[in-house]
Amino acid sequence: MAHGSGGKATSDLISSIFARHFDNPVLAKMEDAAVVPGAARLAMTTDSFVVTPLVFAGGDIGKLAVCGTVNDLAMSGAKPMYLTCGFILEEGVETEDLERIAASMSTAAKEAGVLIVAGDTKVIEGKGGLYINTSGVGFLPEGDFEVSASFLRTGDMILLSGTLGDHHATILSARMGIENTIQSDCAPLHGMVSALQDSKVHIRAMRDVTRGGLATVLHEFAVASNKCLRIEERLIPVKDQVKGLCGILGLDPLYMANEGKMVAAVAKEDAELALSCLRKSPYGEAAAIIGEVISGEEGTLLLLTEAGGVRMLTELYGEGLPRIC
Amino acid sequence: MIDYRNYLKEYDGPPIRIMEVCGTHTASIAHTGIVSLISSKIQLISGPGCPVCVTVTEYIDRLIDLSLTPDTVVVTFGDMIRVTGSSKSLQDVRSEGGQVRMVYSPMDTLALAKLEPAKTFVFAAIGFETTTAVYAALMDEMIREGLTNIRLLTSLKTMPRCIEWVCSMQGGIDGFLAPGHVSVITGSSLFEPLARDFHVPFAVAGFEAEQILMALFALVKMIEGKESRVMNLYPAAVTRDGNLTAKDMIHTYFESCDAAWRGMGVIAESGMVLRDIYGKYDAGSRNLYCDHSHHPMCRCDKVITGALKPKECPLFGKICTPQAPQGACMVSAEGSCCSYFVNRRND
Amino acid sequence: MCVAVPGKVISIQGTRAVVDFRGNTVHVEAGLVKVKPGDSVLVHAGCILQVLPEEEANILADLFEELENL
Repeated sequence: MAHGSGGKATSDLISSIFARHFDNPVLAKMEDAAVVPGAARLAMTTDSFVVTPLVFAGGDIGKLAVCGTVNDLAMSGAKPMYLTCGFILEEGVETEDLERIAASMSTAAKEAGVLIVAGDTKVIEGKGGLYINTSGVGFLPEGDFEVSASFLRTGDMILLSGTLGDHHATILSARMGIENTIQSDCAPLHGMVSALQDSKVHIRAMRDVTRGGLATVLHEFAVASNKCLRIEERLIPVKDQVKGLCGILGLDPLYMANEGKMVAAVAKEDAELALSCLRKSPYGEAAAIIGEVISGEEGTLLLLTEAGGVRMLTELYGEGLPRIC
Repeated sequence: MIDYRNYLKEYDGPPIRIMEVCGTHTASIAHTGIVSLISSKIQLISGPGCPVCVTVTEYIDRLIDLSLTPDTVVVTFGDMIRVTGSSKSLQDVRSEGGQVRMVYSPMDTLALAKLEPAKTFVFAAIGFETTTAVYAALMDEMIREGLTNIRLLTSLKTMPRCIEWVCSMQGGIDGFLAPGHVSVITGSSLFEPLARDFHVPFAVAGFEAEQILMALFALVKMIEGKESRVMNLYPAAVTRDGNLTAKDMIHTYFESCDAAWRGMGVIAESGMVLRDIYGKYDAGSRNLYCDHSHHPMCRCDKVITGALKPKECPLFGKICTPQAPQGACMVSAEGSCCSYFVNRRND
Repeated sequence: MCVAVPGKVISIQGTRAVVDFRGNTVHVEAGLVKVKPGDSVLVHAGCILQVLPEEEANILADLFEELENL
């Protein structure tokens, strides 16, 4: 294993692929640490990405890593600024895949306006697996902008930025050999968030809808705020093809993972304006108001079903299905 | 057009207990929130029609052994992966090197077997009559293609004997919501002897909210009218005689046998197994009767037959949750306990 | 476990068929039925169980009549 032992072969790998794609003045210094300008309040996050297959319709593990990290920062109201990327490569990873993944990370980073300022690469024995760990730093705006799952009030409206289940459906379709044109919705949501912030809408809470699905996130809002949330099945956007896949495999879109969707709870009087902001933002065309915070049993999430019945939703238990992010 | 929804909502007669036998009906009922649309005097009870839930631990132990056997791969539906045998599940054994593959269809085994002819692929063949038809089609295809490296480990169940068990050993059920997709294969006539012998009505139903509501309406009316016949509320897919090709194919490859049901013990002629002439395709399915409940206080056996509601099991929601399931009713998404827990049902 | 969904047959190859479910294409077993392209079918675990009627209206009408006579 010449690659990964710190000698020339490793720096060849780094410089030939990663540094080339992530090229920026900070990274180009190739120092042990990146020194960058900061802000009074920072948002920080970390995440790891282990999805297989590495490449799928609508994206790859690299794009997932950048967007996932950017979105975690954006959801706290921060402007995403810097990312670090640690790669663990198993022997046998194809150079074309590495090129593709690095290129798509670079594209995603540019779109999100973030710099990849530090990185690390390790090579281990294995069969071509690839894992990415990131950390992200964002700048919080001056003033007292703050969102929290515990801030919801009775009367608040709940908005969803687009269709549910696309990413999860893409990964499962690939694994189960079902052909369709579903694509992962992997996307950076910083633009959507800053549009909401600029519009001065009163945002109580924001969250991206990743593993565990919409139901898990909204259940957390209900419990953290000690409120009763009610959403309506007929208002929740789900692509027809995704519904078809769910029917075949017995899945529930409410519990499926997304990689480019967010949910926001806003003050009632701001709901229409918030909806308009989302719909005008990239990736928000299918945004919808899906429910509200009502008087009811505290800490519960209710679904008004298409049949007109009421169902109580809880968070996703167990792993559900194979890991998809 | 009859306002069956209103009728069900406003029902104020004597309390009625209706059993839905099929696990997929339990899931649909929870999913559509139907309980909130009907009078509280109409009680819906989940029955033993969840194949994962009624599988005994010895069957899972055998699967685990097979998965650890060199050059052997266990192929299964996703539902079975987290169910524990006497000590562990297929998911647990994966980390010990157990070979387990999850598929959407038993037919997927054909491609797997062709790709690796040196390996033996054992399908965890559980299910009721609906899925038995699929296994029969699999047998047909693999024999036609001359594949010799596929086996079935069967835990196949049939509906009539278990419904008979509930009626004769337990009783207390006023009407049955009959399984829609089983009936596609067997025909609705399957339930006629039961309706007659136990004086209880059956309504064959599909799985959409409207179809279930219509079937519940039909049952309430038949119960009120003291009628005990079989009504087919899913005529688009179900006929009186069912799918004759499928029934013939099942008959070609499988025969009736005694089977062990969690919660009910061994019931004569309640299962199916490969006929002796196809014995070389069987992975040791006969006489898997032992059942060890994970926890001495687990009441899966009573919940499966509708004798207890999930919340009446002492472990429900305390030691036993979907994250730490003690018995199969909680592991399977179609199990009564999982359905009740995840949907916080209070009925 | 008895999850079965309706789809449309796109093509037949002997005892196998390609079925479309709202834009999802799956290769399924067709040995239990007689089907032709364009048929609506009910599929369970990768196997066609039944051919469904094109026109459901008459069937539903009969069903409603039966319910009214209860």
